Amino acid sequence: MKEQFEGRMLRIHFGESDRWEGKPLHEAILAKCQELDMAGAIVYRGIEGYGTSTRVRHASPWKLSRDAPVMVSVIDTEERIAKLIPHLDLMVGEGVIAASRVEVTRYTREAKS
Amino acid sequence: MLTTGKALKVSITVSEGSTYHGASAYASILDFLFYRGISGATVLKGVAGFGADHHLHSASSVEISDKLPIRIEFVENQEKINEILGKLEEMAGTGLIEMQETTVVKAAQQSKRSRPTPQHMKIEGKARMMRIYVGESDRWQDKPLHEALVQAMRANDIAGVTVYRGILGYGAHRRVHKDRPLHLSHGASIMLSAIDTEEKLKAFLPLVDRMVEEGLVVLSDVEIIKYSWRAAEVKTE
Repeated sequence: MKEQFEGRMLRIHFGESDRWEGKPLHEAILAKCQELDMAGAIVYRGIEGYGTSTRVRHASPWKLSRDAPVMVSVIDTEERIAKLIPHLDLMVGEGVIAASRVEVTRYTREAKS
Repeated sequence: MLTTGKALKVSITVSEGSTYHGASAYASILDFLFYRGISGATVLKGVAGFGADHHLHSASSVEISDKLPIRIEFVENQEKINEILGKLEEMAGTGLIEMQETTVVKAAQQSKRSRPTPQHMKIEGKARMMRIYVGESDRWQDKPLHEALVQAMRANDIAGVTVYRGILGYGAHRRVHKDRPLHLSHGASIMLSAIDTEEKLKAFLPLVDRMVEEGLVVLSDVEIIKYSWRAAEVKTE
């Protein structure tokens, strides 16, 4: 099945060690996206970067406790993304949220879960 | 550059299994010759032979022998050979190095291919970005879908594509993929990001239609600030 719609893409940037209610922030955001039934969300880990606190983040293979830059990208329609934003406002303590307009095509396999 | 006239032909014989600093000796020697700018070298594999140890080694289909002789041959001028001979002796280990005078009748020419200028060389200003979201375990025909998509894009002259693996995510099918460290996760979320002109990407979309059974395709406007590539360094494969 193929559906097409005009949508929004959000990209949320923060650090891997950031937390929300005891859970890693990226996991919490992903769970929220699922709860709100967003079309898709993916978490990426960067290998190096710096953010709002101008602290250089590194993904070091030698350290178990790492603070790599993390980016979550969420895609859905304008209205649904608008519903997600208040939650993100609350959850993201330090970070950047960027939005852009996108054209989405969604492919789904029918009658198969 | 090798020219016609007097030259030397060097043959180095080592056994297939011999190593130099942990890597295969013949491969190390070939690499060394390559990076030292030797005009050309050939590696030949013997089917049987014996060396200083006087053991006969042969290729048998039941057991794989790593003692078979390997010969590396190259032709170069005296000067250049003098430069590298010391190192070659070290690399050849217990192998044999021989040298003979030879005459170059015709030097091999470097093939000069006149490469047609690709159409995608000039992209300026407004362009489109296409992101394709699929699962790492998705397949198309006999290969991973994301690899097939990259190949298809290459074949369709899409200016460039980068594949990202997400550490966590879900797509059209709402299955959460989680990438655990030290764990081969095959269901990870994959994102391919390609940038090109509207027409090029539009022309590619029917292929995406055919190849992607489940996933998201997202198009957005982007502005190209800089797009350059060094034509001279592009390898033709």
